[in-house]
Amino acid sequence: MSGAELTSPVDLPPLPEARDAADRGVGELLFGTWRGRLGLGLLGLFTFVAIFGDLLAPYDPNASSLDVLASPSWSHPLGTTENGADVFSQLLVGTRVSMIVGFAAALISAVLGSAVGLASGYFGGWTDRILDSLENWFLVIPTLPLMIVLARLLNPSLIVLIAVIGLTSWAGTGRIVRAQVFTLRERAFVERARALGASDMYIIKTHILPNTLPLIFANTVLIVAVAILSEAALSFLGLGDPTKISWGSMLENAFEAGAPSAGAWWYVVPPGLCITILVLAVAVLGYLFEEYVNPRLREASG
Amino acid sequence: MSGRWLAGKVAASLLTLVFVIIFNFFLFRVMGDPTTQLARLPQATPKELEQLKADYGLDKPLGGQFVDYVGDTLTLDLGISQRSRETVWTEIKDAIPWTLLLVGVGTLLATLIGSWMGVMAATRRGKRADDGLLGFSLFTYAAPEYWIGIILILVFAVAFPIFPAGQQMTPGVEFSSWWAQFTDVLDHLILPATAMTLMLLGQYFLIMRSSMVDVLTEDFVTVKRATGLPWDRVVRSHAVPNALLPLVTLAAIQFGAVAGGAITIETIFSWPGLGELSFNAIQSKDFPVLQGTFLVFSFGVILANLLADCLYFYLDPRVQSR
Amino acid sequence: MRARLMAVAFAVCAAVCVLALPASAQDDSGGNSVLRIGWAQDPTSINPFVGLDEEAYTVWAINWDLLVNFSPDDLSPAPGIAESWDVSEDRKTITFHLDPEAKWSDGKPITSADVKWSLEVLGSEGTLFTNYTSNITSIQTPDPETVIIKTRRPDARIIGGIFVYILPKHVWGKVPIKELTGSYKPELPLVGSGPYVATEYDRGQILRMERNPNFRGEAPAFDEVQFIRYGNDDAVQRALTLGEIDIVAEVEAGSFERLGEEPDIETVQSPSPAYTELSFNLCPERYCPDAEFNPAVQDRTVRQAIAYGIDRDRLNAIGALGTSFPGHGILPPFYRSFYEVPEQDYPYDPDLANQMLDDAGWVMGDDGFRTKDGEELSFDLYVRSEAPSDIQYAKLIAEMTREIGVEFNVQVVSVDKLTELTIRKVDGKAAPEFDTFIWGWGGDPYDPSFLLSLFLTSEIGGLSDSFYANPEYDRLFREQSGIFDVEQRKEIIQQMVAITQRDVPYVVLSYDPNLQAYRSDRLANVTLSCPADEGDVFCEQVSYQPLLSLAPAAGAASNDEGGQSAGLAVVAALIFGIGGYLLGARVSRRRENEPLELPE
Repeated sequence: MSGAELTSPVDLPPLPEARDAADRGVGELLFGTWRGRLGLGLLGLFTFVAIFGDLLAPYDPNASSLDVLASPSWSHPLGTTENGADVFSQLLVGTRVSMIVGFAAALISAVLGSAVGLASGYFGGWTDRILDSLENWFLVIPTLPLMIVLARLLNPSLIVLIAVIGLTSWAGTGRIVRAQVFTLRERAFVERARALGASDMYIIKTHILPNTLPLIFANTVLIVAVAILSEAALSFLGLGDPTKISWGSMLENAFEAGAPSAGAWWYVVPPGLCITILVLAVAVLGYLFEEYVNPRLREASG
Repeated sequence: MSGRWLAGKVAASLLTLVFVIIFNFFLFRVMGDPTTQLARLPQATPKELEQLKADYGLDKPLGGQFVDYVGDTLTLDLGISQRSRETVWTEIKDAIPWTLLLVGVGTLLATLIGSWMGVMAATRRGKRADDGLLGFSLFTYAAPEYWIGIILILVFAVAFPIFPAGQQMTPGVEFSSWWAQFTDVLDHLILPATAMTLMLLGQYFLIMRSSMVDVLTEDFVTVKRATGLPWDRVVRSHAVPNALLPLVTLAAIQFGAVAGGAITIETIFSWPGLGELSFNAIQSKDFPVLQGTFLVFSFGVILANLLADCLYFYLDPRVQSR
Repeated sequence: MRARLMAVAFAVCAAVCVLALPASAQDDSGGNSVLRIGWAQDPTSINPFVGLDEEAYTVWAINWDLLVNFSPDDLSPAPGIAESWDVSEDRKTITFHLDPEAKWSDGKPITSADVKWSLEVLGSEGTLFTNYTSNITSIQTPDPETVIIKTRRPDARIIGGIFVYILPKHVWGKVPIKELTGSYKPELPLVGSGPYVATEYDRGQILRMERNPNFRGEAPAFDEVQFIRYGNDDAVQRALTLGEIDIVAEVEAGSFERLGEEPDIETVQSPSPAYTELSFNLCPERYCPDAEFNPAVQDRTVRQAIAYGIDRDRLNAIGALGTSFPGHGILPPFYRSFYEVPEQDYPYDPDLANQMLDDAGWVMGDDGFRTKDGEELSFDLYVRSEAPSDIQYAKLIAEMTREIGVEFNVQVVSVDKLTELTIRKVDGKAAPEFDTFIWGWGGDPYDPSFLLSLFLTSEIGGLSDSFYANPEYDRLFREQSGIFDVEQRKEIIQQMVAITQRDVPYVVLSYDPNLQAYRSDRLANVTLSCPADEGDVFCEQVSYQPLLSLAPAAGAASNDEGGQSAGLAVVAALIFGIGGYLLGARVSRRRENEPLELPE
């Protein structure tokens, strides 16, 4: 799974357990269901590791030794890399890059997507037509190849990664926000505010945005998952920040160093597993939020 | 009416394609300075650079360059690879069939197996089989496909070396028959196609499962059931066809992800398709090739979307009557 | 029950069928003995006018001769296209004698016209072959067996230093130069003079070389050489472990030791004419008024102290995992004819380094780094992100020099960025913008001129990336280039090495190795060469001689793949098993003919 397709415009129908999600509050949804608790718990754990990773790491993750591609032992619980560095320490420290890129890129994508979606939905007409075809375009273009091209043209760094991922994954948000704004625009309270002579800015700020925020939020959480996967894929292809350890770059190094043919599963399995678990945790939360938000969306459009 | 709908779709696809072409031009000519990309030798003298610029038509004004570029692109003149000095189109042309094979087999298997699993899970809702299938597909859905690929190599090519895990056929062998070649390619295809299938499987499973659940609770199924039709016949001949529609939509949306997956999976398995070509271009900063593969990927995805739209059009009576 | 039975029956049938498929399905080049060499990437182009990579050199070096080849024993000049040569009294005219019987692989005679054309055209247009012939004023061909080369001033490079392949003029001369340097693809088989000629090149797959019927030397033992591309290093190593190939031409440092532990696999670590260095920005004001750097880098004592403060054995042991060779000056020991361990060699001695810096007035500051007159011993150290072992080196160096109060701020940048910093120009004058960096160079097999030329004043703005300027060094360079007597020339070259050891424009950190691995159960007569006993398996890119004796090991299993792979049988069994199960389930369900229980 590598593209921005987790947030498909086909809204994946809710999983059975949370069908009645709308009847409950967000708090109950997060803490009351096992899915919510699991997602939050895992995300909390990863956040903790991301913040304190280098303190927790038993070794300097870059320190090489002569113990090359050693299998797990008491001193190296997850073995060593091709340079004799400690895999476990790299795993801990690598959490930070994955999380930073994931959240920062999702933030950019959310801001961009909401801005475009709001403008397009609220103003309609030509603004909408132009912005909508832009959105369409970004939805159709294969995301990973686009990211690759952009990342290759710029010099690799964390900022570039964040920017590239953020700039290419906002279209889904834009599309959803636009639809929501369309329906809000026709609602009575907006009509009334307009009749009273309120400015566009004012209406957007007080009526439209507050009613769109939950939707944006739910969508953004899903984009975090996409961004984490994208960062890993780009780093794996050698387009990541060369100075930083991330799970993707660990996989790249492992592959380049021939860890698979050396049978060094301890170097290959953990980073991928961490990516998978983090993505699952984030996606579970995202779907919970979406289920919470979606019924209202349907209600509004119906 | 329906003809107009189709024409509209075709026009929209063409427009998107035009966008891609324009975008491609500006991305590579304006964002990256083409002369630094052209001059592989840092010690190139200014005179040599001028010569290079003239060779590539970079001394013309941007407008003229753009016209040249559009003309070249339309005639499939995508430039010359800086790495191999072959024309970019030759390289791409050789790679396309292999990518189509991998992507086609992967998508086909993912659709079949994924939707079969979805039906299984939906008819056993809430049971252990359902939970197991759900867990499995969520996992494959969230796991990076290249990681799955590496694990496949670890297990099936290193720990138990029963599959080849590189290239598309045994190199250096002259095949005595097309059958021998066919089985050899098949042998090499299994691991990458499995990775591709696992990458796509989850989405097909989820969509099939939930639409089946929806369909199975609809009235007409209850009615059919009440007329005494056996349960599996109801599922097979009534529920499944009704749940197929979202599958087509999904297939269209997946093409973007497929393109991404082709790059990483082909890289892992040195499968000589467009993905590996892109990867080599990334590594050697071969911008003409990178530009070409991006163009072809985009074109492929746009075309696939259009095809899916057409398929949808024929499958869904609601669209037709519009 | 029935369903399960059916499944098993189907699965067994399928597996048997697949395994029983004719084992002769894959026909292996008709019983020819084949040497299989694996590499991660294949040459981008085998046209010598445009090819750029080592893989291309590997093919060229087997396909063609030079005017003067290299001896696989000590890399000294040996007969190539020219059987013998005489040097005139004034050393400006050299006469080469060709073998009148020599023929190209297509049967046409090899003549002086081929030599003249190659030196003139490939020597001026081929991307990798320019600069070798710059001193030549004329090439005369009085008859087909004689080539007379005249030079402006005596140039020792003419014998053993012109690394320009001699191509058949009757093939290449017909193609317009514009095309040769463009997208020209040579016709196969490549007409050549070496023991094998390339007969098939399926890009991305395989490059096949077959025996040259007109080869002048003894016939090689293998009928055919195949270079097989695997796309990445991991896959190449797997192929070697599984016995699909006989030799891996280039092994990654990280897997070198592990491969050596595999049964029936031998690893070879051989020297090469390349090194990795720590370079300082020494550009004098005169040449680079706008250069930007910490001026402390131009203090010779500081550089010498840094050299003493770097443990090169440790760099090699940890940074390169013991696969390279610790560096001792700007001339690698690969240059046997000219090499000697330099007298001033900077063994690791942090105490001495501290002493030197103390004496020079560099005072240790509170932050642990030394200062003098407002200058701090704190340098940017650039490394390429593309070179992981260089990054390791940089980190280790920063760690080591902390002990002597010198700070290195490691900056990992792309090749492009580093190139930009080193070749920066302001108003047409060099203006390098760095303090130090780690990068590397590689020279020619025998003649050290190229590596020595990197420190010439005249190369500032050209190849020089230390921007070193020393008239004495320049003079010695000119002098050695005209000396044909090896011993005499070596003496002067040693003086040049001594100068660079004193002034330290580079600290040569390590000499790069050639890492190869081969299957000892498949190859016989492996004699390491280039240089003898220390070199690699087939003298890659330098001499084809060792290939001639390399032979298939007695009793080695043939390369036949045999029948189908077990994996395919397993998959067939699985598919048919499931199919059988479903079919069986259906049949039995029909029989029972009762509706299934409706799920709730």
